[in-house]
This record gives sequence, structure tokens and C-alpha cells, in this order.
Amino acid sequence: MAAEIPAIRVDHVSKTFRRYKDRPGSLKEMITKFRMERYENFRAVDDVSLQVEHGEVFGLVGHNGSGKSTLLKMMANIHRPTSGTITTDGRISALLELGAGFHPDLTGRENIYLNASILGLHRREVDLLLDDIVDFSGLSAFIDSPVRHYSSGMFVRLGFAVAVHVNPQILIVDEIIAVGDEEFQRRCFEHLYKLRNNGVTIVMVTHSLEIVRTMCDRAAWLDHGQLMSEGRSVDVVRDYLSQVNDAESERQFELDRERAVIEQEARLRESPVGEPAERLVTLGEIELIDHNGRETRYLETHRSAVIRVNFQCRRPVQRPKFSFSIETQAGVLASNQGTTPDHGVQPEYSGDGSIDFVMPSVVLGPGEYSLSVAVHDSDGTMVVDKKERVITFRVGTDLPFTGVTDLLGSWSEPNFGGRQ
Amino acid sequence: MTAAIEIWTYRNLIYNLAQRELRARYKKSVLGWAWSLINPASTLVIFSLVFGVFLKQTPPSFGNGDTGVFALYLFAGLVVWNFFNATINGSITALQNSGQLLNKVYFPASCPAIANLMTVVLQGVIEGGILAVVMVVLGNVSVTFLLFPFTLLLLAPFALGIGLAVSIFNVYLRDVGYLVSIGMNLLFYATPIVYPVTAIPEERWGLPLRTIFSLNPVAQFVGWSRDAFYLLRWPSLANVAVMLVISLGTFLIGWTIFSWRSKNVTEEL
Repeated sequence: MAAEIPAIRVDHVSKTFRRYKDRPGSLKEMITKFRMERYENFRAVDDVSLQVEHGEVFGLVGHNGSGKSTLLKMMANIHRPTSGTITTDGRISALLELGAGFHPDLTGRENIYLNASILGLHRREVDLLLDDIVDFSGLSAFIDSPVRHYSSGMFVRLGFAVAVHVNPQILIVDEIIAVGDEEFQRRCFEHLYKLRNNGVTIVMVTHSLEIVRTMCDRAAWLDHGQLMSEGRSVDVVRDYLSQVNDAESERQFELDRERAVIEQEARLRESPVGEPAERLVTLGEIELIDHNGRETRYLETHRSAVIRVNFQCRRPVQRPKFSFSIETQAGVLASNQGTTPDHGVQPEYSGDGSIDFVMPSVVLGPGEYSLSVAVHDSDGTMVVDKKERVITFRVGTDLPFTGVTDLLGSWSEPNFGGRQ
Repeated sequence: MTAAIEIWTYRNLIYNLAQRELRARYKKSVLGWAWSLINPASTLVIFSLVFGVFLKQTPPSFGNGDTGVFALYLFAGLVVWNFFNATINGSITALQNSGQLLNKVYFPASCPAIANLMTVVLQGVIEGGILAVVMVVLGNVSVTFLLFPFTLLLLAPFALGIGLAVSIFNVYLRDVGYLVSIGMNLLFYATPIVYPVTAIPEERWGLPLRTIFSLNPVAQFVGWSRDAFYLLRWPSLANVAVMLVISLGTFLIGWTIFSWRSKNVTEEL
């Protein structure tokens, strides 16, 4: 059965590029630098194995330089693997650039023939499709002018009109969706959906995780040429996001630390000498802890999290009030929470301590937030110490909602017949 | 063999690449296509002036016994030279200019050079046609005219083989292109084109000089073109057989070098 053969099988594929230190552009340099090491090997793709099944939409994600475009080019037969094999089953069409091979001096019509032949269409096929292509591009008034007079938008539209009419069995798409206006992108997607419904196998590279999540059946995540995970696109995106956010957490820690130092200095300058000593309670480190008990700058919706406030009491004080606020990047207050005067059982605090705000389930929507913390006197009228925007963190989700908060509701079955 | 089949499946692309070259060549010019006639015709006129009027070269007589015209003798050789030169230089630039495209779409890397060859063949046929018309007007006509298409038929794989080989080396080392242009210059004067074969001494410094010069395959093709249009005679069968072997051999060697080196060509372009 043909169905048992995958559309694309990538089998232990590696690709090594030569990264020239100082390219010998001429014979003289080649002779004078003959004995020097002129290049180093750079492994763009490292022992990757994966399969794309027929009729599936497959996404490749990874940060810049992760090797995903190299892998794509190897699938399209543009680059050859250094080792390993790639076998494909079906007519492949690679859409790595719209309007590939357009000659500026030729007219739109002439370029349609050229571009179509580059994409694998035969002259007779183009003859039949020409009117459709021109219609689709919406450029019938300009079709006999040289494309050098086209705007970049028209150029891309013509290229896309041709690409749409190529009838591949396997389509390889590289980030083309990134160009053009919203209208154009919408048409791109409509077309890709149409192809998908027609059973075309699609492999795409994109930076938009949203696209991967909504369009792709399966995905693979590459990092520094290595396959980090492969599977259902939702799972791959989550894996990828959590790693990206770990890295971002790290960076955010750094920023927070720098900011803390600056604020500390500012506070020392502002406050009269000796004043910090007179404070009854001072805030220590503020910690954001994820469901694994690790300190983080990345939370996931519907996972538990803890905000931990460390503090020092100079001498025993009457139970102070703690509060924090969370704001979005735009400065919208998402939540402000504080302890009540009758909180807890200890009437007096002394020494070093910490207090946790425990969230059994984070209900913040995906986005970036900042956390400010304050401590007040016992009746909450005077701020004793505060730390503004001490932590900046991100919330990620794989749930289908946006906004500041999840309302934790669910949709019912639709009701018909006017019954209440 | 598989390579030949692959090239065949891409014939449509080759045709379109050639068409792009031809169309783009005469875009934005009033005379357009006429230039492909005017260019060789003007060369013919200039040569007639320089060699016929100023330098007063004595040409061999025509095949029909009439007094020869040096400009035509020269032109018959130049047609072959232009073909050879344009194939080789064209192969180099064609591959170089296709770098971007080859990085976006897969097609055999030899396609641009083959497309270039198609445009060269067209130009060769036009130039041969001009020459044939002039000869008909002068009454120097024979069935040997048919030798000319045969000459191009053997010259094409010979030139393409060399063109492919140098074009692929040029990708890795741009010096190759410069060396080729020096080499072509040298070869032009080493080939009896602007002078008749008889201008080379039979023997010099104890060497059979004329025989050595005649080993140059391009000189043979030049000779055939003159046989066809000017001297109206056929080359010997042995000569044809040798050239057939040289032509196909050169093509196969060039093709092999190209296939061997072009595997990772997209990375270098």
C-alpha cells in the first residue's frame, strides 16, 4: 500500500557547511594561505530523523539558525545531506520565494510562463491556466508591462497567483506568509487550507506558533540542528515555548537584578540617612515560584504558582499588611491583593520571615506582566516599604483564549426550540 | 543516463530560461531582434574594410573557382569562434547568475548552461544564414552548406563540455573566469581565423608547427565551416570520425566533472 510509505522520510540526516574564516576569493590568497586552515565545519543539521505522512501538515519550529530552513531545503532537494538520506514520495513543489526567477525587464505575462516552468508546470498547462492566474492576481491591467514597474506588493501577488496554480502533491513553504498585507495573508491561508483539504502534504517553516498550533497536525522543533521534539503540534509548541521561556526567564532575572540595584541606589539617595533603619519592616527578595517549585519568570495558565515575599522585622511589630499588584505591559491593573487585618494567628511579627501568596491555578491570560509588592503598617494606612515592578514575568497558555484573564467557564451544548 | 532523463524532464524550464535570455536581451531597444542580424553583419562590413581595403590580404579562391573575398573567409571562421566563445563565457555567467534561483527551487545545475547553449545555437544559425545568403548572392553555392549544421552539431557538445567544467570551477574560485578569458584570447590567435592555415610555417625549430596547430579541435571546426561555405568541399571521413570522438569525449569529461563538483553547488553560489 502506498499509504505505508511516508510522504517524506528523513533518516539520520546531517548537514555540514563550511564556514569560511577568510574566504580565499582568489588564487593568490589560496597559495599564500595554503597551509592555513581556511574554514571550519559547521553542523547545521545534526542527525535528524523524522517522517511526514501523506496528507499531513507538518510544521518546523525553532529559533533563528536552528537548522530548520536547511532541513527544508534538503527536503526540497536544493541542498544535499552530508550524511543520511531523505526519501520523498510524490511531486514536490518548493515555495521558498514568491516570483522566483522573475526577470524585471519581462512583462507580467512572460514572467508567468517563466515562473510556472520553474515551479514545474508545462507550457500547455500554463496556456490553460493563464486567464485564471491573471484573474487571481488582479493585475490584468498591468499584465503586459514589465515587472520592473510593479510595486513590491504587485510583484508578490503575481508570484503568489502562479504558485497557487501549481498543483503539488507535497508543498514546502518557507515563511512566505510573512510577506504582504493582511488581505494577502488571509488569501495565503485560505489557499493553504484548501490544499490541505485536497490532501496535499504541506511542510512549513514559520515563526508563528499560532500558525503551527492551528494549522499543523504535527510539528518538529529543532535547536542548534538537533531534533528536540517531534509529535502533535500542540505538544511540540508547548515544549518549545517552555524552553524559550526558560531562556527568557534567565534574561528576565538578569534585568530584575539590575533594576533592583538601580532602585536601591535611588532609594538611598532619596531617603534621609538612617531612615531605612527606622523602618519597622523591610522587604527582602520577592520570589515567583512555578508548579515545579523552581523560581521562574514564566508561568503557565491553570498551573499552580506561588508569590513569596521575604521580609525583615527590626523589632517585634504589630501584624503588618502585605499587598501586591500585577499589571500588564500596558499598565492595566490585572489584580491587587492584600492581607486583611485579621489575617493569621500571630499578632506580632519579629525577625526574618516570609509570606506566600498561593495560587492553585493561574488564571492570567497569555502575555507579559509586572509584579509590585508593598508592606504597610497594621491598619494599612502607611506604606512602610515597597518594591515596584520588582518582577517581570510571562504567562503562556495552550488554551484557546486571550485577554487578561481566563473566566474559567465552559460552553454548553447549543439549545434549540426556545426552551429555557 | 538518469541525468539525461532528468534534463529531459526539465526541458520546459530550459526552454523558458533561454527565452528569458533572448527576450530580455533586446528589450527596451527599438530595433530589437534586428540586432542579432545587425551585429554579425556589421562585423562582416568592418572586416571587409580592414582586411580587404587597408591590409589587402589575399584570400584563397572560392570553391567555385572565383577570386575569394577575405572578409567572407574570415567570417566563416568567426561564426565557429563566436559559437565556441559564447558557449564557454555564457556557461560561466549563466551558472553564476542562477545562484539565487538555485537556492530557491530545485533544478539540475546544468540547466542554465544548456539554456545558454540554446541561445548560442540560435545566434550561430542566424550568422550561418547570413553567410549562406551572401554566398548564394555571389554564386558560390554547393550542397556542402549542409556541413555547417553538422559542424554546429559536433561543436555544441564539445563547447558545452568545456563550458560546464570551467563554470563549475569558477563557482569555487573566481580566478577561473579570468584565466578563461586570457586562455580564450590566446586560443583565438592560436586558431587560424584571422589568418589562413597556410600562414603557419610547415616546420619551425625542428617542430612540425602546422600539424601542432591543427591538433587544436577549434581549428578543425573553423576549417569545416570554411569547407562548408567557402571552399565547398567535404572533410575526410577519418577527420569526421576523430572529431566525433573528441567532441563526445570532451562532453562526457566535462559533464562528469560538472556532476561531481556540482553536488553542493548551491552552498557556494
